[in-house]
Amino acid sequence: MKRREFVGRTLGALAALSPAARVLGGRAAAGWLLVPMDDAQSDHLKAYGLTYRAVQRGARAEWLLNYRNGSFLMPADPTTPRDAGLSGITIEPLDDGAVLQLRAQIQGDNMDAIPLEKPPKVAVYVPPNAPPWDDAVTMVLNYAGIEFEKIWDPEVLREGLKKYDWLHLHHEDFTGQYSKFYLNYAGAPWLLDMVKQNTAMAKTLGFPSVPEEKKAVARAIAAYVERGGFLFAMCTATETLDLALAGQGVDIATDYADRTPMDPNASAKMHWDSALAFQNAKLELNPSVPVFSDIDGHQVNSLDRRQPLGSFSLFNFSAKIDPVATMLVQNHRQVIPDFYGLTTSFMRRTLKPSITVLADEPGAPWVKYIHGERGQGTWTFFGGHDPEDPQHQIGDPPTDLSLHPHSPGYRLILNNVLFPAAKKKELKT
Amino acid sequence: MRGKSGRRATGLIGCLLALGAAVPALKAQQSPDPMRRGLELERRGNYADAAAAYREVLKQKPAEAAALFGLERALVALDRVADILPDARAALAASPSAGAFYGVVLRAWSAADRPDSVRAVAERWAALDPTDETPYREWGAAALARRDRGEARRGYLTARERLHRPDVLAGELAILLSQDQEWTGAVHEWGIAVGKVAGYRVTAAKVLSAAPDSMHADLVRLLAAEPAPAARWLEADLRARWGDPVGGFQILAANLPADRAGALDVLSGFLDQVRDQKGPTGSRAQGLALAALADRTPGPARSQLRVEAAQAFADAGDEESARRMLSGLAVEPGTVEATASGAATAMVGVLLKEGKVEEAERKVGEAKASLASDDWLALRRGVAWGWVREGKLGRADTMVVGDTSVEGLALAGRLRLLHGELDSAAALLKLAGPYAGSREEATARTAILAMLQPIEVDSLPALGAALLAVERGDTARGVEGLEKVAAGLPADHGGAEVRLYAGRIAQAARRSGDAERLYRAAATPDAKATAPAAELALAQLLIDGNRAQEATDVLEHLILGFPDSALVPQARRLLDQARGAVPKT
Repeated sequence: MKRREFVGRTLGALAALSPAARVLGGRAAAGWLLVPMDDAQSDHLKAYGLTYRAVQRGARAEWLLNYRNGSFLMPADPTTPRDAGLSGITIEPLDDGAVLQLRAQIQGDNMDAIPLEKPPKVAVYVPPNAPPWDDAVTMVLNYAGIEFEKIWDPEVLREGLKKYDWLHLHHEDFTGQYSKFYLNYAGAPWLLDMVKQNTAMAKTLGFPSVPEEKKAVARAIAAYVERGGFLFAMCTATETLDLALAGQGVDIATDYADRTPMDPNASAKMHWDSALAFQNAKLELNPSVPVFSDIDGHQVNSLDRRQPLGSFSLFNFSAKIDPVATMLVQNHRQVIPDFYGLTTSFMRRTLKPSITVLADEPGAPWVKYIHGERGQGTWTFFGGHDPEDPQHQIGDPPTDLSLHPHSPGYRLILNNVLFPAAKKKELKT
Repeated sequence: MRGKSGRRATGLIGCLLALGAAVPALKAQQSPDPMRRGLELERRGNYADAAAAYREVLKQKPAEAAALFGLERALVALDRVADILPDARAALAASPSAGAFYGVVLRAWSAADRPDSVRAVAERWAALDPTDETPYREWGAAALARRDRGEARRGYLTARERLHRPDVLAGELAILLSQDQEWTGAVHEWGIAVGKVAGYRVTAAKVLSAAPDSMHADLVRLLAAEPAPAARWLEADLRARWGDPVGGFQILAANLPADRAGALDVLSGFLDQVRDQKGPTGSRAQGLALAALADRTPGPARSQLRVEAAQAFADAGDEESARRMLSGLAVEPGTVEATASGAATAMVGVLLKEGKVEEAERKVGEAKASLASDDWLALRRGVAWGWVREGKLGRADTMVVGDTSVEGLALAGRLRLLHGELDSAAALLKLAGPYAGSREEATARTAILAMLQPIEVDSLPALGAALLAVERGDTARGVEGLEKVAAGLPADHGGAEVRLYAGRIAQAARRSGDAERLYRAAATPDAKATAPAAELALAQLLIDGNRAQEATDVLEHLILGFPDSALVPQARRLLDQARGAVPKT
């Protein structure tokens, strides 16, 4: 097929790709493209990637908070419809008149339009040989087509995360106790590898033990936030990061991790001022119980304490007064089925008073999704491991996101990825 | 719809049932008998009150074993095992020769993290009966509970020293050494353990199979030096797991127990190890084990085992052994009809694999009386395919005469196609519908129908001849013939479809170059109905050949160029795969 013929056919084809294209055929001068994020969207997750790539190309996109469940608006260009067609994403061409009407509606209701200016440079903290499917964020970034770099302890400690706007942590154990899998999975090759790798890294970086090295990594991450970084953590990284920060100078690791038993009075000696989100938690002293503290409400790996899964509800915020929280909860579903992780949820009594709760399980003593600020930066913690694999086990096959293109849980992750792209001067919190 | 009163009545009945169930439990909880009360409270998960009830019993009767054990269970649930020490000591004082009480004391000291006391209790317990290994086993188990592997080993080895028996607690030591990845010591202990308790064999094979590849030869050699026959059985199992199932069987066969029941047990264990092994050696080992089992099994089960052995041998490509298993089977006393049917099927399969189609047809004729009609027709269809592979379409035709089953119609359609009679072939294949035969057969039939659909001529002998060459295994000639046929047809009236079909055949035959050329030729804009399928097939071929970027270009062309195609969702998924967005398991 000759190039000209293909281009001609392609333009015709784009007209048939989505309901939007039919509108395009009827309007000669569609100057805008709307990426709807309500139930009209055929792939919610890839829509974030489409927007990210548009911003990357220099488009001045806008995030329409609360408008059709957090849709995106961008000036029409030839690349975006092609990108949408290839990925199966619904877009709707709008002319200037329609955009004016839309802006009037946004002005009058609990909505706002946030400019998305600079694509955040994304880093995912992950050990070098970790399987990619064991991290929900890595999987969804790949699926949506958002670029990211993998980093680990050397990059954090030596380079201080200066290159990155956004950092993700997943199920890492910053207490240095190998997620307390040491006893239940003794002898498993992956655990032996993990121990070997972490021990060698601690030695290389000049630390006496893995727990001490992980505490230093936690401090570097907190400093990154302090300087204006965006931190998003899930699963056990949430709880253990704070334990490592609050546990400076306290032996919070059991003997198999650092050859000395855990301090029996560790809970009383914690410096909660240093933690991001939590306070007054009690540490789990039993080395054979794969639980870190009483921060987690669900305690999935403790048979006699495990709580059943329910559903969590997203809070509503004022888009014009509190755009950050509003961005983080944009979704086409308000109630989302819960999912386990090594840390599934956060007990209300352990939360610092200054944090913002973004989602909770009504009536339960725990919350699911929280956000806060530290210095110039912000952090968001989301409990659980994989929103579409509620009872994820080690060795389970990876989640195939093409089977979950509308996953509301994964949408929350992607809200966090795009949130740093929002123009900072517009943010009022 | 049930009314409000109905719902109320149901609710009431529910309450009454619940109350009915609760009454005995309530009585038990309030029972004056503290033992009964303790059991009920424990059952209901009220461990603290259960412990109090058991203690009430022990106050009256300190050596009441049921109460002491109940108290231990309740305290385990409360994570306060060490609290039992005063009660256990009192029990021991009241009954100093009760070994079981020593166990309770020993576990309590262990929970209190007092290894010296554990050791001392074990020694006192052992003094009661100097031939008993139980105290040492409990000593080791208590140490393992504290994750003190060195102390556990010390307990087990002390047993051997005191009891003057080098085989004592071999199973326990074997597990310990395996977990510590001390494979040489582990294999020695497992050799002893399976000699004492045959039931250890399955666990031993499973645990030892985790040993690193580099140690396999040494470990097998060590087992071969063990005197116990059971060690040789374990050696056979490990050889089977480590890629030499036939060698494993030979070791097993040379060391079978003399008694029939024992031999059957050992052979069955080996068969379990190789049952899921694919490939010729795995199938051959299955055949050998099944044949050995058949030799030792009387009655109808023997015939069934011989049929299964024949099938396994046939799968291994050992037709001679398969034939040996089947010979004379029909006249064996006690052969039931199902077995006869299986035997005939296996025999016909063997003959067809050997290319002895004439003999297979004769066997099918002879077996007619012993077979159900459906089974007989299925065998005839198998023979028909045998004739196709021989290139004798006329003989194949005769085998489907009168076969009005959907599978028969499907086969008749395939035969008409091989004759080049496209019109009647398409009619018969449509009649057979999408469900006849296996999924693969149905898919193949659909692909043929898709190829035939745009061709506007009723008869095309050259197409039949090319497909016949493919059926006879001459893919090169078949693909070449199909290309020639395609060259004579307009692209949108069969030319592109025949090329696509030929490409699939070439790909299945691992002729990737030919497949790529044919797919690219089929993906012509002149054949709009065929091009998306050809591009999808091409993209998959490129991905399989690690050419993801080229596949991406092809898929983008498909999605943007043919947006209305039903293949677009599939293409998008493949595009994700090519971009690495779909994780590989």
